[in-house]
Amino acid sequence: MQYEMVAGFETHVELATNTKIFCSCTTQFGADSNTHCCPICIGLPGVLPKLNRQAVRYAIMAGLATNCHIANISKMDRKNYCYPDLPKAYQISQYDKPLCENGYIQLSNGRKIRLNRIHIEEDAGKLIHKRGDTYVDYNRGGVPLIEIVSEPDIRSVEEAKEYVEKLQQIMRYIGVSDCRMQEGSMRCDVNVSVRPVGSTELGTRTEIKNMNSITFIGRAMEYEFARQVDLIESGGEVEQQTLRYNDAENTTSPMRGKEDANDYRYFRDPDLVTISVTDEEIEELKAKIPELPFEKVERYVNELGLSEKDAANIAKYRNIAEFFEAASEGVKNPKSVSNFIIGQIFRRLETEEDKENFDIKTTPEQLCELVKLIEAGKIKNNLAKSTLEKMLDTGKPVTEFVSESDMAGLDENALAELCKKAVESNPKAVEDFKKGKQKAVKSLVGFVMKESRGKADAAAAEKIIIEIIGG
Amino acid sequence: MVTREDVINIARLSKLYIAEEDLDEMTKAMADIVKFADTINNASEDGVEFDNINNLSNAFREDEVVPSYDRDEILSNANDTDEGHFLVRKRV
Ligand SMILES: [Zn+2]
Repeated sequence: MQYEMVAGFETHVELATNTKIFCSCTTQFGADSNTHCCPICIGLPGVLPKLNRQAVRYAIMAGLATNCHIANISKMDRKNYCYPDLPKAYQISQYDKPLCENGYIQLSNGRKIRLNRIHIEEDAGKLIHKRGDTYVDYNRGGVPLIEIVSEPDIRSVEEAKEYVEKLQQIMRYIGVSDCRMQEGSMRCDVNVSVRPVGSTELGTRTEIKNMNSITFIGRAMEYEFARQVDLIESGGEVEQQTLRYNDAENTTSPMRGKEDANDYRYFRDPDLVTISVTDEEIEELKAKIPELPFEKVERYVNELGLSEKDAANIAKYRNIAEFFEAASEGVKNPKSVSNFIIGQIFRRLETEEDKENFDIKTTPEQLCELVKLIEAGKIKNNLAKSTLEKMLDTGKPVTEFVSESDMAGLDENALAELCKKAVESNPKAVEDFKKGKQKAVKSLVGFVMKESRGKADAAAAEKIIIEIIGG
Repeated sequence: MVTREDVINIARLSKLYIAEEDLDEMTKAMADIVKFADTINNASEDGVEFDNINNLSNAFREDEVVPSYDRDEILSNANDTDEGHFLVRKRV
């Protein structure tokens, strides 16, 4: 029998606020343990939490960018459970009145992954297990999170990866989170079930907790899919349980028994008043949402003539997309701008983070100037490439490296002279060419390019050289 | 209905110890408390929102950092600490 994978995601995203969700401690990552704490975020009795306005705004923006309906009225609830990462023995979250509902993310194959809800909540502290003891650091406790809950609409590992990447891109674009999975500012719980192809019923699902890498998500889902299919094929049944993915062995294993939903004893947090958002405020936040990556890809392909792949590569990072758009201002063929970015500039940006930051010396105006000179026929491509390298090294404009006389190009006579010189000074290459070694002509052209300091038109030079040798 | 098992479960979740001989009395007390809380059902009328009886909304804080507490002070109430952490000892 053929089986199909059915998966849904619960994605936690740390919001990029300066302070925690209910107190004014900083959210900065990487400090000494328990140095970003106060009585509120370590849960001392008698303190009064106060909601961070910016966290609410960011969550609404996340909802708007994922096609959610924003609730005019929502509230905070207590989710009770007892574990050392939670000093109050409850987490302040949202239960039956979340801030955002009924959104979706559209995948490149056209399928929509529905979002059930996005709610705000506080992050838990960090636990380090040593020799059986547990060391607790509450710096992360109280950092604002949104939890993005999808419907079980994902049907393959590819769709899952694209879904996570899209969420990551969108959240970064709108500036609500840096979504750094290694640092834990974006984490996914994935629930997976299988069913016979064609069936519309949902199978029993398992939930893989706390995944912090897209690669691992893919592997864990593949493993879990195969495990469940094997189980069913051999007459067994899938047991609903919470799993942990072990990346070293590429397996999943059950976690300690988790209390089921009833035991969370959700109730309204009496310390926190209703959140009321007016339509005007929603409109105001909507106006802050920039053109999103997939919208950019569409525009780059349809209006600027980029390939789908190049468009996606540029639009993936907001800084790069903005650089590209500024550098394409008034350019006839923006494709040459994207070629410089994806070719030469990307070579200098090794990591994803480098690309995200896009810290280069050349300004978009400078690249624009260079491309316009090429389009006006004043600089040949080879010269442009080597010039761009110098520009990127120094941050200086093209005019620093290419003089007026360089840009004037070579007139026909000068070119013919140089070609003649090339033939005369390279008897070996000429000999080779005559013997039928076609490639030998390239070294002659190279000579011309070098002598002309890149000004010559290589194709024209080649033609003239062949004429000279032949004649 | 509150059962002995409910009380044991709630006590466990609340990290409370209840002696075996107190369980019956505690179960009855819990049942009385729940019954008392149930009186709120009599007050319910359709369309009346009890969720927000104060009619308060939007008590927000601006997103401005205030220095946190000294770590020694933060850890001063803990039962056990080590290397700047709260320490939860292995349960034997
Ligand atoms: Zn705090």
